[in-house]
Amino acid sequence: MSATAPAFVIQRQSVVGMENEWVKMFDPPTASLPTPERLAPTNPVPAFIAATVPGAKMSIPNTVRRTLMHGMDIVMWDGNKVKFFLFGDPDIPVASNGTFPAPTIRVPRGIIFHGETHAQGPPPHTIHWHGIEPTPMNDGVGHCSMELGNYTYQWQPNFIGSYFYHCHRNTMQHFEFGLYGFLIVMPPDAYQGLNGTGADDKWRTAANLTNFPQFPGFDPTPVDQLVAGQLNPHAMTVPYDVEALWVLDDRDSVWAAQMPDAKDTFPVHGNNPGVNDQFFRGDFHDFNPDYFFATGVPFMAHIKTPQALAAPLQNPAIAFGTPDGTVPAALNSGVVGMQVAVNAKVNQTILIRALCAAYAKIKITFPVDVVIIAFDGRALGVPPFGNYNSAFLLKKGVPFELTTARRFDVLARSATPISDFANVEFRNNRNNQFLMNGKIPFVIL
Amino acid sequence: MERRDFLKYGAAGLAGLIVGSEMPWLLENPAYAAVQSLNFTITDAKKNMVTHNAINVATCYFWIYKCNTPNFRPDCPGPNIFTTPGDTINLSITNALDEPHAFFIPGGAGLPPVFDSGPIAPGATFTGSFVAPKAGSYLYYDNLNAPVNRVMGLHGAFIVMPIAPAAGHKFTPYDTPTLNIQKLFDDLGPAAWWPGLAWEQGDPATGTPAFRQHIWVLHQASPLLFTDVGNFTPGQDFPAATFVSQFLNSPYADTFHTGKFNRKAHFFTINGQSGHFSHNNPFICPMYRVGEPALIRVLNAGLHTHSCHIHANHVYVLSLDGRLSNNLWWVDTMAAHPGTGFDWLVPYMRPPDVPNTRGIGRADPPRRTQAGGFTWPPAQELATFIPPVGTLVGAIDLAVQMSPLCFPMHDHSEASQTAQGGNYNCGLISGINFTGDRNDPAGVLTFDNPPLTHGPTKTGPAAPPLV
Repeated sequence: MSATAPAFVIQRQSVVGMENEWVKMFDPPTASLPTPERLAPTNPVPAFIAATVPGAKMSIPNTVRRTLMHGMDIVMWDGNKVKFFLFGDPDIPVASNGTFPAPTIRVPRGIIFHGETHAQGPPPHTIHWHGIEPTPMNDGVGHCSMELGNYTYQWQPNFIGSYFYHCHRNTMQHFEFGLYGFLIVMPPDAYQGLNGTGADDKWRTAANLTNFPQFPGFDPTPVDQLVAGQLNPHAMTVPYDVEALWVLDDRDSVWAAQMPDAKDTFPVHGNNPGVNDQFFRGDFHDFNPDYFFATGVPFMAHIKTPQALAAPLQNPAIAFGTPDGTVPAALNSGVVGMQVAVNAKVNQTILIRALCAAYAKIKITFPVDVVIIAFDGRALGVPPFGNYNSAFLLKKGVPFELTTARRFDVLARSATPISDFANVEFRNNRNNQFLMNGKIPFVIL
Repeated sequence: MERRDFLKYGAAGLAGLIVGSEMPWLLENPAYAAVQSLNFTITDAKKNMVTHNAINVATCYFWIYKCNTPNFRPDCPGPNIFTTPGDTINLSITNALDEPHAFFIPGGAGLPPVFDSGPIAPGATFTGSFVAPKAGSYLYYDNLNAPVNRVMGLHGAFIVMPIAPAAGHKFTPYDTPTLNIQKLFDDLGPAAWWPGLAWEQGDPATGTPAFRQHIWVLHQASPLLFTDVGNFTPGQDFPAATFVSQFLNSPYADTFHTGKFNRKAHFFTINGQSGHFSHNNPFICPMYRVGEPALIRVLNAGLHTHSCHIHANHVYVLSLDGRLSNNLWWVDTMAAHPGTGFDWLVPYMRPPDVPNTRGIGRADPPRRTQAGGFTWPPAQELATFIPPVGTLVGAIDLAVQMSPLCFPMHDHSEASQTAQGGNYNCGLISGINFTGDRNDPAGVLTFDNPPLTHGPTKTGPAAPPLV
């Protein structure tokens, strides 16, 4: 026995009789189709953005608009340029040529969402709304539906929580090159108050905090219980004072430099499918990140240097151009004040939404006790689907792993001041190699 | 060009062996063979991978467990083995390779091994037996020269199903489920938010098997490195440290410009298949209706960590890294760590963000559309062909109907979504299909193009000629 004279040959499966499925898998069709089962959109957020963000408009009633992609070289913290692929929002001037990450979409639960999408630069592309669960055409996966073209995605967010959206075409490249943004489902009365808050002027998110009375204002009403003939929009939610968004990400500058075309290695079906399809050789199996970010803000160290053990976050005020380092409202669905570096007061309820958008795996360690209240847009312990789980304490100093696309929501609250850091350890998921410890400032005064 | 034609060509997913006779519901499927002994040969094979065709060489050498009785087709991974706790499993394993090999089954986290053959010398046959442990999902593999022999392909899934549920309760996949696992499986079907069948419940009238489950053995393959191992000095083990170093850290090769590969893995598989061959395979891809919950057992036989993301439904993580959970996180993504994995339960609820009356995630009545129809079932979408009928390549029509509703499950750490360093969507990916709705007010609804089977098809002669 040897590799030159093996005992058996294992044939590849035939595709005869299934050429259509075979071809569609790796070379899906581009199509611009009307939205099936179309409803009227009822999302109040685009109007809010148009009214509050200077220069913004709402071209299509109650409809979010996205263009992809915009190729852009972005200067890294060390002066090197890396190619990115970006989403644009044609209705918001500062976002129309692309931002990294894409603008955060916020929507109230229960509305009919329309995302009008135009693919360009070059096409095709899709938008997959990760964690949102509609029909296949609205799920944005090319091989299960189509690539764009133009299309208006339609879905109704049913679960309050944290999600994201990204291109699902040549995903190993497009997602990694920056074609993603965050997506937040708020309680159904969001945007009825000030600054995107609910009717009582508070921000809220889904949770079951029966066992954690330290967070005031938790409403334990069942989600489906009628109050004066209406659902209670605050049922099973908790108000929060401060919101931070940690989208932990990595980039491989060699991928960006060596395979910069959006179609690199993309296979093409032949005139005899299964027999002469064109496949290409590349390096997309070989991922080695060398730049790291939190919500687009760089951690400033090179891997394999002593500085990687404690890589500081660039001052978000520099990254965002805002005096207090918060995410600009234009990039947060009109909502002012979303943080990356945590800057809160004692006895405030702080919500941190964390997503691993990196291909590396991460471990997050907090400098305070926190309560994990949700994973992947599903609040723990919220009946009925939460009858089998519950929110739990993650103690200060105990690392928690998130792998690519996983996200959690945590609550923190301290009666005493803290001036410290959260630690985000990045390790390559292929070889478990340590890459860096990113430090996110965590200050409660 | 119908989906169902796939089945004529065999599920190169996995064959299944049943030891013992406590699973009549599995034996109804003629592709499962009931045996009393496992009779394997440890041997080798060259495999034509997903992107292999008349103009592109894409092969990989593997070491494999070949099942002799019955004479299943050779493949990596080895066949699924199903049994029940307390069954005696007799083994006869012949080593036809030129270095020592073994058959080993680890216990759960913190537990002693289920079985360890010890080294089987080249040319020798090991015979022995062991008693099946408690119910759960296990990997069997060759633990010698760790991790080389396992990563070279000597691995498969060993599934122990419980004999009976706890009194007054429904079956779960475990003998001693945690409180919340038992509660979940008791609620599936009877509870108002989980209308439909219990997990243990089938329905012959609708072609729905009982105990719906799929097994995903995840792996990564490096053709150049595996060939190095296969051609190594006869009788000697390839140095494990070198193997691991090459597999994980072989220097960057700029394959895109040079056409030459390094020794990192560049094929990524579920049950030995990639891309279309895993995604559209009824033995790998669950294909059930709303109201027909299904279990998926994920076992990672390789060295990379995979971050598995499922579309269409969130899933409950029942066990993780060999331990049963009581806090059943409801997630869309979970990590399969090397050498271990997880079990997750797909509730098969209607995808909850299809517009409905209240918009709170329940099986509410659908909304009326502008065209006068309903958002569920999505009749317009189900009737759509993309690409449209008449999209011809020669005489072949590439049209695909949007029925059943088709979604993916894939690793979101996307380097594994490739083959040969590119070729997106020829990687580690399954589907998850919705073939109808048990809870339609008019009765059980089946969408166009239902699958004809949910398990392995008859094994036997090799698949029809390549390409």
